[in-house]
Amino acid sequence: MNEEILHIENLSVNYDKTAVLWDISLSVPGGKLIGIIGPNGAGKSTLLKASMGLVSPITGKVEFYGKPFKKVRDRIAYVPQRSSVDWDFPVTVFDVVLMGIYGKLGFFKWPKLAHKEAAKQALEKVGMLAFAGRQISQLSSGQQQRVFIARALLQEADVYLLDEPFAGVDMATEKTIITLLDKLKAEGKTIFVVHHDLTCVDKYFDWVIMLNTCLIASGPVEDVFHAENLMRTYGKSAILLDEAAKLSQTKSAGL
Amino acid sequence: MNYSLFDFFTDPVFRAPTIGSMLMCLASSLIGVLVFIRRRSLLGEALSHATYPGVVISLVIMSLYFPDSEEKAALGILIGAFAFAFLGLFVIHQMETKLRVKSDAALCFVLSSFFGLGILIASRIQITHVSWYKKIQLFLYGQSATMTDIHILIYGALSLLIIAFLLLLFRSIKAIYFDVDFTKSLGMRVNFFENMIFLLLVLAICIGIRSVGVVLMSGMLIAPAIGARQYTHKLSLLFVLSGFFGMFSGFFGNYLSVFIPLVLQKEGEKTFSLPTGPMILLFAAFICALSFLVAPHTGLLSRSMRIIQFRRKCVVENALKTLWKKGIGEGAKKQAIFDGLKITRISSFFVLLKLVRQGWVEKLPSKNYQLTPFGFEYASRIVRLHRLWEVYLVSYLGQKVEKVHRNAEEMEHIITPELERELTELLKDPKIDPHKQPIPAKIGEL
Repeated sequence: MNEEILHIENLSVNYDKTAVLWDISLSVPGGKLIGIIGPNGAGKSTLLKASMGLVSPITGKVEFYGKPFKKVRDRIAYVPQRSSVDWDFPVTVFDVVLMGIYGKLGFFKWPKLAHKEAAKQALEKVGMLAFAGRQISQLSSGQQQRVFIARALLQEADVYLLDEPFAGVDMATEKTIITLLDKLKAEGKTIFVVHHDLTCVDKYFDWVIMLNTCLIASGPVEDVFHAENLMRTYGKSAILLDEAAKLSQTKSAGL
Repeated sequence: MNYSLFDFFTDPVFRAPTIGSMLMCLASSLIGVLVFIRRRSLLGEALSHATYPGVVISLVIMSLYFPDSEEKAALGILIGAFAFAFLGLFVIHQMETKLRVKSDAALCFVLSSFFGLGILIASRIQITHVSWYKKIQLFLYGQSATMTDIHILIYGALSLLIIAFLLLLFRSIKAIYFDVDFTKSLGMRVNFFENMIFLLLVLAICIGIRSVGVVLMSGMLIAPAIGARQYTHKLSLLFVLSGFFGMFSGFFGNYLSVFIPLVLQKEGEKTFSLPTGPMILLFAAFICALSFLVAPHTGLLSRSMRIIQFRRKCVVENALKTLWKKGIGEGAKKQAIFDGLKITRISSFFVLLKLVRQGWVEKLPSKNYQLTPFGFEYASRIVRLHRLWEVYLVSYLGQKVEKVHRNAEEMEHIITPELERELTELLKDPKIDPHKQPIPAKIGEL
């Protein structure tokens, strides 16, 4: 159970010349519910994206189960930010959930009855089965988030990467999701959650990664989630770095 | 002369233009769906204009080196248009990524500069090579009349290619266009497919400009998709409907451009013909407008129907409420009921008749009106919703007691059973409203 799930070594990511992540190194054991916290623009989402190769780092490597992401893709499920997609898109709830099977099935085969049944079960788990035929634009934000999570459940992964699943959702949904995540953890899965609300951190997670461009801390909640680290994560010390980075960007762009 | 619809598929003069246009419209309306759901409608507009200099230049080259071969000229123009559309796409992409120009500005820039270049070259030819110039003009607004069987072949093949592509990659397209990041995380080579789609878009434009012209091409991409979107939320159905709308437009555009002049023409006048391109587009726009009007869910007609139904429901429920307040026993006089409703006497009368007919209200021997047990239950629920809502507004939203009545007047007709349940739970099933009036108990729990 305490096998090392995620290992990051000297990871740096730039958008243009601005550092978003700077020299991150960390290891996380399996079977945990991990919160990734930090202020806006601290690179929380980028950390997830970079570990899956969705954005390419300038240096560093990321390994899941000691292997690069590409080799263990099947074992990892990603839930992007709800706001990153167009919810007016003409698909139904069921269609979206069914996309969770595409990774295993490949993009050219049509889903079989068994896959559809599994998709229904995933919807049932998040309490959204009654909405299967709905068009996604008719959903509330909490319902949208549940659909996204159902899609990830269908992937039957060992590691779940969730980007801001609690942003803008109602209390009932937050409760449903956290119960579900706890259940997954009990099954031995590892779950990473990008989170912005500090009040529930010690209640929800048993491991935190505190980020502000640089890594502030990564460890069990009771060890690292304390005032001093919070100060360093949310304090003003990082602003200087930000300004310097912007200056360097303008200089090198010749503006 | 008189032609039946069927003749357009068999007559040697009309066959090629009709079938050619239909195939071309099919291709562009299918690709148009992709552009439309990606919210990049203007891209079609920019790229179709960008083909114009390609058309002009290749026509000049073809006329110089292969003056006799129609087929080679057609192919050459296709290649020229294709090359310039791609150049336009490249410039737009570079401007957006390297120069950080906003998308709409980059599109406008490419549209006008490329088109301007085309016009410039064309106007030079106008004086020296009149016959070339006439051919070039055809591509501005489209002319399907001069199409031959070879065009059917080319367009048919390209349409088939596009359909095959859509069938094969339907699910990938759905996944990519809905959620790029997720699809990438599954290991899909997203960039490759996006480029394929751009390639098909450019292809569809290049074959389309022959029928509807550079200027109107983007409408042919978008109009069928917009029309189809009014009917469905399903991507697959969107493609099918859009394809059909496209083909209809292609056919009727051709048909009407022959038929309308025949009708309008007076005895002894010279025959004239209407250009097919604008006609095709107008027909597509007509389908689109019709869809806005009659589509079952989003259409204007059905929406106004629903509004009227809702208003009627409000009136009926208000009448029931008035009767409820009179209580059971003596009943209420007709006039008293009418006074409670803020509508004309005559419509009040019909509302009352309707209530009797539907069994909510009965007429007593004294000619007074009274609620039936069913009507009483119905009315109790409305009063309950009204007062529950008032409690909610006052105790949870901190509204002033005297101000909540108006809002509740509206909400009592809107609150669903689910909302009622949640309200009841939240407010712990209150018995008294802010005006100290009793709240009727929930039905079934009396």
